[in-house]
Amino acid sequence: MAKDYFIHFAQAHTEFRLPELQSISELYGFSVSLPTDPQEQNPSRPFMIVGLESEDHARLLAGRCILVRAVYELWARGTSYTQLHAMNASRKHIWESYQPGTSFKFNVSSVNHTIPQARQREVMENFSYMAFQGPIDMKNPGIIMSCFEECKSIISSLIKRNDGDFKEAFFGKLVAEGSARSLISKFDVKKRVYFGNTSMESEVSLLMANQAQAGPGKIVYDPFAGTGSMLYTSAHFGAFVFGSDIDGRTMRGKNPKSSPGVVRAAQQYGVGTRLIDCCTFDVTKNPWRCGGIMDAIVTAHLILDSPQDGVRAGAKRLGRKEGRELRDMSRAAKDGTYIPPTKPYELSELAADLVTLSRYLLKPGGRLVFFLPTVTDEYEEVDVPTCEGMTLVANSMQNFGKWGRRVCVS
Amino acid sequence: MVRLITHNLLACHAKGCTTNNFPLAFRDVQLENREAEYNPEFLKGFMPKIEWNALVSTARELGDVSLPAECPEPGTETDEFLHALHHVLMEIHVEEGSMVCPNCQHVYRISNGIPNMLLAEHEIK
Ligand SMILES: C[S@@+](CC[C@H](N)C(=O)[O-])C[C@H]1O[C@@H](n2cnc3c(N)ncnc32)[C@H](O)[C@@H]1O
Ligand SMILES: [Zn+2]
Repeated sequence: MAKDYFIHFAQAHTEFRLPELQSISELYGFSVSLPTDPQEQNPSRPFMIVGLESEDHARLLAGRCILVRAVYELWARGTSYTQLHAMNASRKHIWESYQPGTSFKFNVSSVNHTIPQARQREVMENFSYMAFQGPIDMKNPGIIMSCFEECKSIISSLIKRNDGDFKEAFFGKLVAEGSARSLISKFDVKKRVYFGNTSMESEVSLLMANQAQAGPGKIVYDPFAGTGSMLYTSAHFGAFVFGSDIDGRTMRGKNPKSSPGVVRAAQQYGVGTRLIDCCTFDVTKNPWRCGGIMDAIVTAHLILDSPQDGVRAGAKRLGRKEGRELRDMSRAAKDGTYIPPTKPYELSELAADLVTLSRYLLKPGGRLVFFLPTVTDEYEEVDVPTCEGMTLVANSMQNFGKWGRRVCVS
Repeated sequence: MVRLITHNLLACHAKGCTTNNFPLAFRDVQLENREAEYNPEFLKGFMPKIEWNALVSTARELGDVSLPAECPEPGTETDEFLHALHHVLMEIHVEEGSMVCPNCQHVYRISNGIPNMLLAEHEIK
C-alpha cells in the first residue's frame, strides 16, 4: 500500500525535478505517484508530496536524485498549526509505535528563513500531546522528526519576513537525507585534472546521467565528447562509456605525450576502467559497424560565440566551404598529421542528425539526452526534432536571461 | 585503450568502401593488459552484437587463443568462457599502432590509445 512522503527539493534546476524522479524510479522499477493538483507539483515550492510503495523506494530516490535534499514520511500538514495538529492527532496509528522509548531528535525549521529559537521551542512543545517517552538524543537518535514551515514566496528573502507567517507547514519522520547532492562538488569542473572551456557544470551533467538512467552494465555514448564531462558522471553510476569527437585534441589535451586528458580525469574519479574508448571521428561520417548497441546517448552543446552572433554551438563537420580548392593529401596522409578541413554545422541540422543517429545506435527503449542552446523568445516544442520511433519523454528548460538551454530526452 | 570490444564495432567508412571493410587489421601494435570490472550480465547482453569470427581471429593475431571458434548458444555460456570473453573484449588494450582496412587499405592510426577514424576530404561519402 502506498504511503505519503514529502520530498524536500533543492531550489535549483527545478525543471528537472519531475523528469529526474521519473527516470530514477523507472530505472529501479518502482512508481512514484505525483499529486494530482498542479499547484502541489509547482516546482518553485520546496516540498512535494509523493506516494511510494515502500521506504526503500524513498531511500533509493534520496541516494540517486541530485535535486533531492531529503525524504520524509508525511505525518501531517496544514496551512495553520491547528490544521496540522488535527491531522497529526487523527493519524496516531502512524507514529504511536515510537511512543514507548524510541530516542528522538526534533527539528523545527523553515526554508529561506531562520525561526527564532524561542519560537522553535514553542512549536516543538506544542507537539507534546504525542507523549514520546524516549530520550532526546541529538547525536544518534532512533528517529528524527522535522517540522518545516514553507514561506509564502521564495523570492521574499528580499522582503522582511514576518516570522510565523507561512504558506503551509509539513511534519514527518526523516527517512533519508539526499546523498547524491555531494556529487556536485565531487565532479566540480574546477577540481578536475582535465577540463576546458566546453566542460559542462557538474550539476547538469549529473542530472543528465540520471535522465539517461545510467547504471551498471549499460553503455552510454557521447558523440560530441570534448573534455568528457558527460562521460564521468554516467561512469560514476556504473555505466561503461564511449566518447568520440571530431577533434582529438579536445579529448587528449595539450600534451600529446602524456596519457589523454579524458583518461586522466576518468581515473581521478575512479572510473578509468569504465571508459571503454575514445575515438576521433565526425559523427556525421561515423564508422560504427552496426546499430542497436548503446543504452543511452548523452551529449551537450554550448554557446561558444557571443549571443549577439546568433546561436552557434561551434559544431562543425568534415567538408570544405564552397569555393575552396581541394588540397593535395598524399603527404599529410603519410605522416599522420593531416587534419581534414571542416565546414560549419548548423545546430538545427545537428539536432535532427542526432535524433536520427540515436534511433539507429540505441537499443530499443534507449534514451537520447541532449542539451542544446535555445533562444527563449522563439522557443517552441517544434524546436525539438522528431523522428518516427522516438518519443519525447521530457523537455526541460533552464532560463538563462534571453538565452535558454534545454535538455531533451527522447 | 582500443579495446577489442571497440575494434569489433568499427568498420572502414571511406567513400565507396562497403564490402570486405571489416574487421580492420591491426598493424605494428603495442599492447597492454589492464584489469576491468567483470560483469557477466553485460557480456551476455552484448554477445548478439559481436561479429564472432572477427573477434576470435583478431584475438589470435594478438596472441590470445582462449576463445572457442564457435560462439556458444545463448544460455550455455560457462563461467570459464565468460571470463575469457571478458578478458578479450575488455582487458586487452592497443595503445599504439594502426588499423588497416582489408579492402581499401585505409590506415587508421592509433596514438595514446585513441584511434583516428577521421577521413580525408576525398574519402567522404
Ligand atoms: C560543446 S562541446 C562538448 C562539450 C563536452 N560536453 C565537454 O565536456 O567538454 C562540442 C564538441 O563537439 C565537437 N564536435 C563538433 N562538431 C562535431 C562533429 N560533426 N562530430 C563530432 N564532434 C563534433 C567539438 O569538437 C566539441 O568538442
Ligand atoms: Zn576501406
